[in-house]
Amino acid sequence: MIDVIEAARSAGVGWLSLYAFSTENWRRPNAEVDFLMRLVRRVVRKHAPLLHARGIRCRFLGATDPRVPVALARDFADLMTLTSRNQGMTLTVAFDHGGRRDIVEAARSLIRSGMPADAVDEHSFAAHLPFPDTPDVDLVIRTSGEQRISNFMLWQVAYAEWVFPPVLWPDFRAPHFLECLHTFRQRDRRFGSVLPHQDGERRP
Amino acid sequence: MTHADSATPGSTGPSRTKGQGSSRRPDTEGGTATLFGPGSQFHEFFNDPRWALAMVRATVLEAAHPQIGAALIDNSTFVAHPWRRLRNTFLSMQRMFGDDDHVRQREAARLNRLHARLNGADARDRPYDAMDPDVRAWVVATLFESAVTMCRLSGQPLEQQAMERLYAEFQAFLAALGDEAGHLPPSLHEFWHYYDRVVEEELENTEAMRIILYKLFDHLPAPPLLHGLPTLWAAGRAIAGPVIGAITVASLPEPFRRRAGLPELPGAQTLMQGAYLAVGLARVLPDGWIQADTISDLLSLSPDSDDPRARSINALRDTMNRAGALIRLISPLPPEPTPTAQGATQRSAEEFFQEVLDQTGNGWLDWPDLAAMARELSSRLDLDEPEETQLYNAFADWWRELQSALDTDGDGRISAEEYAAAAASLAGPALIKVAEVLFDATDKDGNEIIDADEYRTLFRTAFQRDTAGTETAYTRSAFIKDFLSFMTGRHRTSPYDPLLAEA
Repeated sequence: MIDVIEAARSAGVGWLSLYAFSTENWRRPNAEVDFLMRLVRRVVRKHAPLLHARGIRCRFLGATDPRVPVALARDFADLMTLTSRNQGMTLTVAFDHGGRRDIVEAARSLIRSGMPADAVDEHSFAAHLPFPDTPDVDLVIRTSGEQRISNFMLWQVAYAEWVFPPVLWPDFRAPHFLECLHTFRQRDRRFGSVLPHQDGERRP
Repeated sequence: MTHADSATPGSTGPSRTKGQGSSRRPDTEGGTATLFGPGSQFHEFFNDPRWALAMVRATVLEAAHPQIGAALIDNSTFVAHPWRRLRNTFLSMQRMFGDDDHVRQREAARLNRLHARLNGADARDRPYDAMDPDVRAWVVATLFESAVTMCRLSGQPLEQQAMERLYAEFQAFLAALGDEAGHLPPSLHEFWHYYDRVVEEELENTEAMRIILYKLFDHLPAPPLLHGLPTLWAAGRAIAGPVIGAITVASLPEPFRRRAGLPELPGAQTLMQGAYLAVGLARVLPDGWIQADTISDLLSLSPDSDDPRARSINALRDTMNRAGALIRLISPLPPEPTPTAQGATQRSAEEFFQEVLDQTGNGWLDWPDLAAMARELSSRLDLDEPEETQLYNAFADWWRELQSALDTDGDGRISAEEYAAAAASLAGPALIKVAEVLFDATDKDGNEIIDADEYRTLFRTAFQRDTAGTETAYTRSAFIKDFLSFMTGRHRTSPYDPLLAEA
């Protein structure tokens, strides 16, 4: 994982998000969840100094569920605090994240703010999502040959490009990442309009 | 650090001179005023960093006096809330030794009212009374003697003339509190006999002394400024705590150490002298680098205060928080048994009991705990009579209400378990009355609204209500509602937290 983060950073990626654990994953057997939690905690603590040294700003999306062990939540908070002033790449780890839940939360927050219905547009709605400074997602890499969205950052992936490398996530390394990046550069992104080649070079 | 609250003051008016027989005592009228203020010997010591060590030493000697020790054990909040306590002491000393006579008289009256409420009996049923003139004289004696000793131990003994002047100032201090002459010997020469006699005959190895020496510094909670850094604080404390204890023990009078069975640590004498010397050298630093009162002020500044200094403090805290986060992340794994969830707006009944209700930190809720709250609130609001007594009475009524509702085993005090079992049903009429009286006391101009200034006096911060801008005042009903929800342990993020819960 750290390999991929490093590859993204050196390739000049400004925002990298990783989907670590979905809300639905709580339905897995307890022992498996416990193991996962311990694993995550070890990984976070092991890499914290490195991430900070590289100037990476870390954030955790979700991670507010009371089922997240207290010690792990503390580590998450510590890592966010530690790296909050960093100016380099922003790494968002979606942990216990659910795209629909974020949208529901944003709707609640919007209603609470008392904004009149007519004043709501995409922009003002997005301001109520968690970490509203996160830009739209450009590229989603779904490993393991799966071809599902799986409730991931539903709002932000509206115009994302998708690639589906067959390699399993544990085996996914820097070269795979660069390959996906290359594929992305070949894509013709039109954002729904018809003008071809608007923001990229011509496809070969 | 304890003297003002532990046991001092005297009875009513100043100068009830009774057979003020002997020689060179500065008389209570006229002469005293010139002994205070800038230029006095005491004033020179006030910002002396060695004073901190001397104060610890004086506190230990006070606590070793059986009456004072008992009063401390029963009433003092210095174990649970040492930083708040320290700040109050500094403020009080400043008022007592400042050059404004009116301020001094008012502070003396306040201290006297405060100490008149401190009396009872110790574990062996020996009575104690913070108004006992001999006890009060002993407190002043320890302060004077520790100041002298502090100079001697750091290799710069006071000259005879300076020592006599300092003694006169401390006598005047006692007189300003309204005590009759004669409880401190009239001359410095006789003072040393008196001092040696009390050390020899009256001091004991009291529980309060052991707590100060061995418990307080090992468990000293982090000051509000360093709340984000429990690990760092604990690490520093683990080293500094025992050292301060050892230094203090080594500086105590030899006969007392022998009799109280205080351990002789190899090297402690040298360490103690080195510490006094090193701290003494810090005096060479430019003026303003060491301002004891500024430091105690800053340490107790609460994070959300709108004090202009809070901004730079917040920047500092931010850096400290990140350092703390890093330390926690890189410290080897199974160190901490799951820390409690910080920052939650709800707190458990046990937490509330420990952080707010048990002000004296002895594990029980008892009248002294509520009296300590009344004391803290009335010093914040700088209350005079009759408001102060009204506030105490309201707290006393609340105590009776709590006792009859919660003290199920009838031992006269309330345990954390008894509290937790009934915590939900606490907002009785007596607590509402406390809120009402507190509102009246805070609402100085009596316009039924707490304005920004009045609010600041109580909480040392500006309004921080959700609808900022529209809300410019705090009404009686809103005030009472907030107070009740804090006092029944329902809300943590209220301005009462820095006031009653923090160290």
